[in-house]
Amino acid sequence: MKRALLFFDNLGSSVMRTVEEAGSVLLMFIDVLKWMVKPPLKLDLIIKQMEFVGVKSLFVVVLTGTFTGMVMALQGYYGFRMFNAESMVGSTVALGITRELGPVLTAIMVTARAGSAMAAELGTMRVTEQIDAYYVMSANPVKYLIVPRIVAAVLMLPLLTIVADFVGILGGYFVGVPILHINAGAFMKNIVTIVSLDDIYNGLIKSAFFGLILSVAGCYKGFTMTGGAEGVGKATTEAVVLASVSILVCDYFLTAIMF
Amino acid sequence: MIRLVNVNKKFGRNHVLRDLNLEIEDGKTTVIIGRSGGGKSVLLKHIIGLVKPDSGQVIVDGVDIATLDEEDLNEVRKKFGMLFQGGALFDSMTVGENVAFPLREHAKKNEHEIEDIVAERLLAVGLPGLEHLMPSELSGGMKKRAGLARAIALHPEIVLFDEPTTGLDPVMAEAINQLIIETQERFNLTCVATSHDMHSIFTIGHKVAMIYDGRIIEYGTPGEMKASANPVLQQFISGSLEGPIHIV
Amino acid sequence: MVSISTQAKVGLFVLAALILLAYMSFRVGQYGFGLKNGYLISAEFENATGLERDASVRIAGVEVGRVENITLTDGKARVSMRILPSVKLADDVKVMVRAYGILGDKFIEIIPGTKGRPTLEEGGEITRVEKQIDIDQLVRNLTNIADDVLAVTASLRKVLGGEEGAANLEGILTNTRELTANLNRVVKENDEDLKTMMTHLAQASKDLEKTFIALRQISEEINRGEGTMGQLVKKREIYDNLNETLASLREITDKINAGKGTIGRLINDEKTVDALDTSLASLDKSMEGLNKYLLKTEEFRTFLSYRGEYLFDSQNSKGYFEVKIRPKEDKFYIVGLVADPRGKRSISERTVDGVTSHIEEWDKNKLLFNAEIGKRFRNLVLRGGLLESTGGIGLDYFALNDNLRLSFEAFDFDPDRRPHLKVFADYELLKHVSMTAGYDNFISDEGNESPFVGVSIFFEDDDFKYLIGNTPIPK
Repeated sequence: MKRALLFFDNLGSSVMRTVEEAGSVLLMFIDVLKWMVKPPLKLDLIIKQMEFVGVKSLFVVVLTGTFTGMVMALQGYYGFRMFNAESMVGSTVALGITRELGPVLTAIMVTARAGSAMAAELGTMRVTEQIDAYYVMSANPVKYLIVPRIVAAVLMLPLLTIVADFVGILGGYFVGVPILHINAGAFMKNIVTIVSLDDIYNGLIKSAFFGLILSVAGCYKGFTMTGGAEGVGKATTEAVVLASVSILVCDYFLTAIMF
Repeated sequence: MIRLVNVNKKFGRNHVLRDLNLEIEDGKTTVIIGRSGGGKSVLLKHIIGLVKPDSGQVIVDGVDIATLDEEDLNEVRKKFGMLFQGGALFDSMTVGENVAFPLREHAKKNEHEIEDIVAERLLAVGLPGLEHLMPSELSGGMKKRAGLARAIALHPEIVLFDEPTTGLDPVMAEAINQLIIETQERFNLTCVATSHDMHSIFTIGHKVAMIYDGRIIEYGTPGEMKASANPVLQQFISGSLEGPIHIV
Repeated sequence: MVSISTQAKVGLFVLAALILLAYMSFRVGQYGFGLKNGYLISAEFENATGLERDASVRIAGVEVGRVENITLTDGKARVSMRILPSVKLADDVKVMVRAYGILGDKFIEIIPGTKGRPTLEEGGEITRVEKQIDIDQLVRNLTNIADDVLAVTASLRKVLGGEEGAANLEGILTNTRELTANLNRVVKENDEDLKTMMTHLAQASKDLEKTFIALRQISEEINRGEGTMGQLVKKREIYDNLNETLASLREITDKINAGKGTIGRLINDEKTVDALDTSLASLDKSMEGLNKYLLKTEEFRTFLSYRGEYLFDSQNSKGYFEVKIRPKEDKFYIVGLVADPRGKRSISERTVDGVTSHIEEWDKNKLLFNAEIGKRFRNLVLRGGLLESTGGIGLDYFALNDNLRLSFEAFDFDPDRRPHLKVFADYELLKHVSMTAGYDNFISDEGNESPFVGVSIFFEDDDFKYLIGNTPIPK
């Protein structure tokens, strides 16, 4: 009997924790929105974060994008060869990349690279009392630390996704045309006829949401972390897990809404 | 003048401050002593509004800051400077930018004037010409000095020191002590420091307050404290294992 | 090393990404710019399955627009299309839904109209909508064709396999060459006749037209109430009479319904209903039988054949062109033309000075006609009708899986002469070629008897289409 009660006690408290956490994420997000519109906007900080999130993630995004396109072409080729429709590889790669893999893989890679870094940076700042220092100096850390990261992520994710889309299709092309000997004209024609502008744009809208998710998750976990140096590591892991899962879950709903 | 009236603070089941009362005199350095984790830092953070009491009042110049909202609190905080334990310099900025940060935020000054003030403050803490170093390139003592330079950048009335000498070698600790005394005298500051470094306490403190079990159990000048008959205080000063303080 | 500022790096990155976006958008939405000021036209399709918004609209495979919207109106799919402003469409263009290949997406094909016609404007509608080709149907047809082709090639292989077959074929080809030469000559010689025939036909159709005109006049008269028929239809009295008759008819049926009178009792009696049910059931059965019978119409086949015969004694050739219509397995009709070098015999009666004499004339340029009806009893076929423009009968015996035909024909029963009798054997060498040998007019009292050989080529109407391009010729 006691055990059963304990079980429900644990269950209740874990549910409460989840609800509490969701609530505080929302509160932080509202705070972010408030500070986002409150001038002056710290443009230099935003640009700094844009460099960190965008420019410095470029290499890893290009790498994943290219190889994803290549492997999609390879896999698609074996499938389509059965129907003698090899030239469909192009449009499959392009459609898959622009609609799904470009945004999602870019977001996951940036989460791993920048989202985790956000949690670690903010966590370290919490541990070393830098965040308190902002308060003490009558400066709101949300404005200095969180707003630039979120703005940068929301702006840069779509741009990185464009690059991922492009190199992904390019990767598909390089596997498809010179290696698998698919007709280049048919390959490109299929891409052009089947992929529509909406596919690209909806992918970019998705990626902006993903940018929001990964930066909010990273910032929240870092900003609210407790427990010293060990806590930083924990916050980082939690941020990556939370962001990745949320991205994939949101991806489903965004896709359901948009396509 | 800073007054804490019946301040209570709990972190979970840990009752850190219990009906704590303390009055801090203007223009003097008050050192709060107590065991590690005994609520010294929490007390300090109450004074600057980083932590709000569960109940009780924190009165700074006649205003209960516990009831203020963020905006009014920011106004009050402009009277304060704080030196954190590790200096709490912003990792992403140079030393110069760190010191310039409060100036850029709150002082209506142009870049040139800011530069001059930064140079002057760094000179005052003994770090002249190190504006362009990053915090990661500084030693622990230098970080504290730079932190002090930042804390006094805006000419505050009150400066709080959180464990100013902890983690430093005795020579550097003494240098920081002297820096605190110098600064206090020069700007006629009200200083509040936490410490468990006996030498530092008796060097910089005009008044000493002992916090134990969430309360101030003794308050007085360093001389009075040394002469006190309170067994807890005596054990703390002598660093003896024998006495009412138990190490669990 | 030149250090690039953070701002520059971010700026460069943003610029590069936006250029890529612009490039991709341009490639993907190639017509996006021009189409914005394009004009809208619409068409109603019975079925727009697979057609999506933004599907391409093409003329001769070139994209000229996109599908803007698809809505349902009165059970039909109304498809509106935005067409490039530079493309002008005549108002008699045709549209259809097509697919890129078998598995491909659907698009709309516009077949250009007549030049010089007024062009379609904004909001215009294309009324000429072609039916969409159903893939299932296509595949079904293709399967049928493939089966037929397979059968043809299989039998061809059977015949052509081996040197003997090749030799045979060579012989046949030689014969065929001669035959066609003969055919050529026959056609040339009969050129004039054909022309006359055509003229007659033209004349006849003109007469027909006149008849139609007269018919229309009559119907117009009726409409106006002129003439007897007209009065019948238009006159009030007659109409009233009719009404009365109908009224009394209704009375009778009402009575029947109420169970009055003999018929009424009959109908309203349960037993009668049962009996009726039984008879309806049996009717159902007979309907089934009828259905089965009707299904047999699928056996309906048509054959075309040409047969050339060379008569050794008179050193003449005779050509037969026949259409055989076989509505059922055991019944057929034959209509044909015969080119006989002897020509058509016509007999005229002439009375000169009270003496009536029959004059027999042979018109060498006249074609003879065959029109026969036949019925098959197992291997025996009995046919009769018009044979070479005279009455006659024929008897065929089929053997060797219908490949060998032994025939006997008797026609031209003239009291002044012996009838024209003919026996021959016809052997089907290949699926579409058979050899004939026989004795023509063998009891002739005019010295016309002659042995002959011949070749005939025959096709089923269906075969014709795809056989021409497919027959392999061995070297």
